[in-house]
This record gives sequence, structure tokens and C-alpha cells, in this order.
Amino acid sequence: MRRILFNIILMIVAFTIQNCIFPLIPFLTATPNLLLILTFSFGFIHGKNAGMYYGLLAGILLDLFYSGPFGFYTLLFVNIGYFNGIFTKYYYEDYITLPLFLSLVNELVYNLYIYVLRFLIRNRLDIFYYAGEIVIPEIIFTTVTTLLIYRLFLSTDRRLREMEDRRG
Amino acid sequence: MESKRSRFILIGLSVFCVILIAVTSFRDGFLNPLRSGIGYFLNPIQSGINRAGTTLYNTAVNYASLTTAMEERQELQNRIDELVEENNRLRSEQFELNRLRSLYDLDQDYMQYEKIGARVIAKDSGDWFQVFRINKGSADGVRVDANVIASGGLVGIVTDVGANYATVRSIIDDVSRVSGMAQQSGDSCIVSGDLTLFSEGRLRITNIAEDGDVKDGDRIVTSNISSKYLPGILIGYATDITLDDTRLTRSGYLVPVADFNSLQEVLVITQLKEDLTADWGADVREGGS
Repeated sequence: MRRILFNIILMIVAFTIQNCIFPLIPFLTATPNLLLILTFSFGFIHGKNAGMYYGLLAGILLDLFYSGPFGFYTLLFVNIGYFNGIFTKYYYEDYITLPLFLSLVNELVYNLYIYVLRFLIRNRLDIFYYAGEIVIPEIIFTTVTTLLIYRLFLSTDRRLREMEDRRG
Repeated sequence: MESKRSRFILIGLSVFCVILIAVTSFRDGFLNPLRSGIGYFLNPIQSGINRAGTTLYNTAVNYASLTTAMEERQELQNRIDELVEENNRLRSEQFELNRLRSLYDLDQDYMQYEKIGARVIAKDSGDWFQVFRINKGSADGVRVDANVIASGGLVGIVTDVGANYATVRSIIDDVSRVSGMAQQSGDSCIVSGDLTLFSEGRLRITNIAEDGDVKDGDRIVTSNISSKYLPGILIGYATDITLDDTRLTRSGYLVPVADFNSLQEVLVITQLKEDLTADWGADVREGGS
């Protein structure tokens, strides 16, 4: 129970930092996508079901922020949570290569999703420009941030679990 | 068994999302109470974090600029002297202008719209979209389609309003289209945001008539035939106007007046174009042709 609450609070904090703090930092040309990192880490560590529900919450939060069609981000994040959950069988602690690779793939899927559904359908064909200016910087930033966040997430999660075990 | 169930849930949720996307693409209104409700909860957090972040950032910047401030002060003092003199001259000209205006019975209320100040509390962190959120909402009189300006130039338009927040899409966003006109000649054009030009700090101007009189450096203002933007708000200055390949229209670029990199406070015009057209719609239709 406490872990669920903790994770929800963590998500809201990440969302707020992403939208309120990062834009203030002028030298950041691209910003890491914290919600994406959290969703896929959660799916990867806790499995398909948990990842899916976490993705559902993250997606709803994003959809509430944007005024476009509702469900656009929820659809993507639910699927990201689920499919990263499949890899949970390869999960063991201190194993960072696969999470990094997953982070890379997720970022690629996320940006492709936005590009195709929001830009390509309006006849914006200059894919190489978008790739070079937006997608690649964001992928690099997010992957680097994954290194930090994933470790942090893991250790907090372990500590919370220990605390719960001791109690129950 | 377990795995099959979760797959069903996934498919169910995905289908639900697709339906929701489809429905809200056509009818965007009915989720507003939900968005507004969440806004009540998120807005204080966002405002608080934003304020703390801004304070820290400003303190750092202040300290850095303190060293250069002394030199600037001397320069500025000289400038003040110049400007005071210029102001005196301009004031007398203003009196003259007012006299002449009343003589010509011109509309003096032009550009004197009712505005309220608002603080930018959150921005889209990704680079795909240029939207931001402000801390004033329907409780303060902000409505959907309200125009937003900052530092004398057009910034964007409100797309979504909650009780205590509003989402603004800036004119540099890729889907933004503003109907504009050259202030001097009155020739109309379309000012559109373009993600590929965003890093150069420019927007695109298109659809200038081939014989239209728009030159580099001309002031581009919102047009009076626009359905959502109030007339006469400065957008920016035209540059690099060239004839299109079709030889029917001309196009070029626009350098916006508002500085989109450091937006912190904006002004929201609470008057809507709809209100205006209701009042003097007939005039606009005749005068805008």
C-alpha cells in the first residue's frame, strides 16, 4: 500500500519537475523524459500488469496537461508499460545494460509515435531534420538520465520492500 | 492464465483509448470538468515548484549581473537624460495627435483591450510542442480563444481553460496559424509556426498576394479578418520576402517581437474577437475587404 502511494507521489513529482523546472534551465536544449523512464522502469521491475497500470496513470497525467485529443498519451504509455513488463524475466538487480537499451528503444518509439501521428499526417516530411534536432538529443539525455534514475528507483524500491517485509 | 488476462486488459485499455481519442477529436468539451478538477490539485504544486525554481534561478542570475550593473547604471543614466528630453517632445506630439484624431474621428480605443497579467507555471518539456500553462483560469475571466501577449507582441492563444489555469498554444507551435497583415499596406498574409524554423527564432509568412506590398522589415500585425485574433496586435517583422515558384503568391519569414525563450509573465486579453464582431461585426466585414 505504502509502495503504491510512494510511486504515485514519485510520478507527480517527476511530472512537475519535467514541466516546471526543466524549462527554466536555459542551457538544456533537450530534456529527459522522466515519466517515460519511470513507466518503463516500473514495468521492467514489477512485470506487465504493474507496468500497464503505472503507464495508465502516467498517460492520464500527460493527457490532462495537453489539450489535444484525450487518450493520445495514455494509449502509448499503457503499451510501453506492458511491453517492457515482458522483459521482467531477464530482470535482476545491478544489471544495467538491458534497461539502457530498453530506454533507447522506448524513446525511439515515443518520438516516432508523436512524429507520425502529429506531424507526418500534416505532411511534414522532413524526418531527418526532426531526427537530428529533436529526437537524437532527447534520446541521449533520456538514456543518460536513465543511468541515474534507474539506480535510484531500484534502491528506493528495495528499501521500501524491506521495510514492508519486516513489518508484515 | 494470468498472462492471458493481462493481455485482455491491455487490449481493452488500448481500444478504450482509441475510442476516447476518436470521440475527443470531434467533441472536446465533455472532459473539461475532469481536467479542471485535476487542475485544482496540480496547480498549487506546479505554482509552488515554479516559484521556488524561479526564485533560485533569479538569485543566481542577479548575482552574476551585479558586476556589470555598475557600468550599465552610468550608461543608463545618460540614456535617461536623453529619453526625458525625447519624452517631452513626444508628449507634445501626442497632444497634437489626440487633437488630430478626434478631428478625424478615428477609433481611439484601438489596441486598448482589457488585459490581465498571468504567470507561466509550466511548459511542455519536450521539443515537439510549444504549449505552456498559466496560473489564471475561468475564475479570472480567461476564456478559450483569448489572445495572449507579452513584451508588446503576440504570444499565443488559449486552447483550454480550467478554473484556475489555462493552457496556451504559442504562435511558434507547429500547428499555429495566424491571419496577419502588413501594418502599412494592409495586405493580408498567414503567419505560421514551423518546428524546423523554431531554433532560428523565426516563423513562416505565406500567402502574400503576388502584387502585395510587403517588404523586409515591415511590421506584421494580426489582421482584422482573423476569426480568433483581435486586430492590430503586433506579431513581428517580415524578412526575406521572396516570390514563390508558382508566381502567384509571395512568402518569407517573420521575426517575432515576443521573446519565447524567457517567458515568465504574460498578459491575457480577456476580450474575445467574438465579442468584438458581435458589437461591430458589420464594420469589420465592410472595412476588412
